[in-house]
Amino acid sequence: MNQESEKYNKVINLLKNSKPRLESTEEIENEVIKRIAGVHPVVSALTGILDFLFSWVYIGWVRRSLITSSIALVVIFVYQQGVILNRIDFLSRHTIVIGKENISEQTDQVEKILMNYKNGVRKLPLRTITISEKQMNELIESVNELQLKYKDLEKLIEDDPEIKKLMEKKLNENNRTKI
Amino acid sequence: MIDLELIEQCRGGNFTNFRKLVELTSPYAFSVALRMLGNEAQARDVVQETLVTIWQKLEKIKSAEVYKTWIYRIVVNKCYDHMRRVKRNPEFNVNETTWTMISNTVSQAPSAELENREISKIITVLTQKLSSKQKAVFVLSDLEGMTNDEISEIMGLSKSSVKANLYHARKSISEKVEKYL
Repeated sequence: MNQESEKYNKVINLLKNSKPRLESTEEIENEVIKRIAGVHPVVSALTGILDFLFSWVYIGWVRRSLITSSIALVVIFVYQQGVILNRIDFLSRHTIVIGKENISEQTDQVEKILMNYKNGVRKLPLRTITISEKQMNELIESVNELQLKYKDLEKLIEDDPEIKKLMEKKLNENNRTKI
Repeated sequence: MIDLELIEQCRGGNFTNFRKLVELTSPYAFSVALRMLGNEAQARDVVQETLVTIWQKLEKIKSAEVYKTWIYRIVVNKCYDHMRRVKRNPEFNVNETTWTMISNTVSQAPSAELENREISKIITVLTQKLSSKQKAVFVLSDLEGMTNDEISEIMGLSKSSVKANLYHARKSISEKVEKYL
């Protein structure tokens, strides 16, 4: 050990062993109690929640960064939800809702055309043609009614040989096989 | 010994228990404050301010283990504030007489404990040229006997930064000791 470090250690040890003594702690106690009297620890709801969520982080700047980023994420999420809801609302006001239809193999040509039309309507630009679901249902109902009447008519013709003959004759004249 | 139970009792606004907490906390808060500031009156102010801050933020303390680190952090920060104020109004001049007096104190009382006044004077003179950080690291490491990990946590510095500050502080003090004592 050289003289320099010996001197240094001597001084440091002296300072280390000489613990500062706090005289009259009671005076400090009274002064502190006087200052805090009426100042109860107040914890706001937000502080409480943030402490509950981030109390496991002891490094100040890490805790602040986590709080900031989580708040930013929540704000972005709420904003996105708002945008999505607005978009859904906008689309629901401008689209045609198509009801479920069972298209059998015997579907009539008219119904096929109607279905094609229905599908085609969706491709039209918004605000050009607007058909409500009610109007569409009425149209389909009338087509179905027409089909039933057509089937009744066919049955009647089948049952009556005279009418059948007459119809075949008329169809042949017009080069058609069906009414 | 400070335990979580005592801290929790204080949270409820119990002044009697808080007095106990003050009694247990003030000695080591005062020790750090006096060694850092070199002024007994200022050190007492720092202790008071620290205890008021503790009272206001008791909710944040989740375990007794972190309490001591937390207290040291508050004390060091309060000392920084005081040092900044003093820096604007420096009032201590070191002359030959001061060095002779310190030299006599060190040589005459090598094993005896020094008075607060003597401790303040010696530390102030030896650490006068140090930055606040270097001074804090030196006090916590060489005088309070803390590890680099503890200092790093208290001061929010990396371990390498703590080591660098400590190296410069020791070098500066060692040069003064060699030159004047």
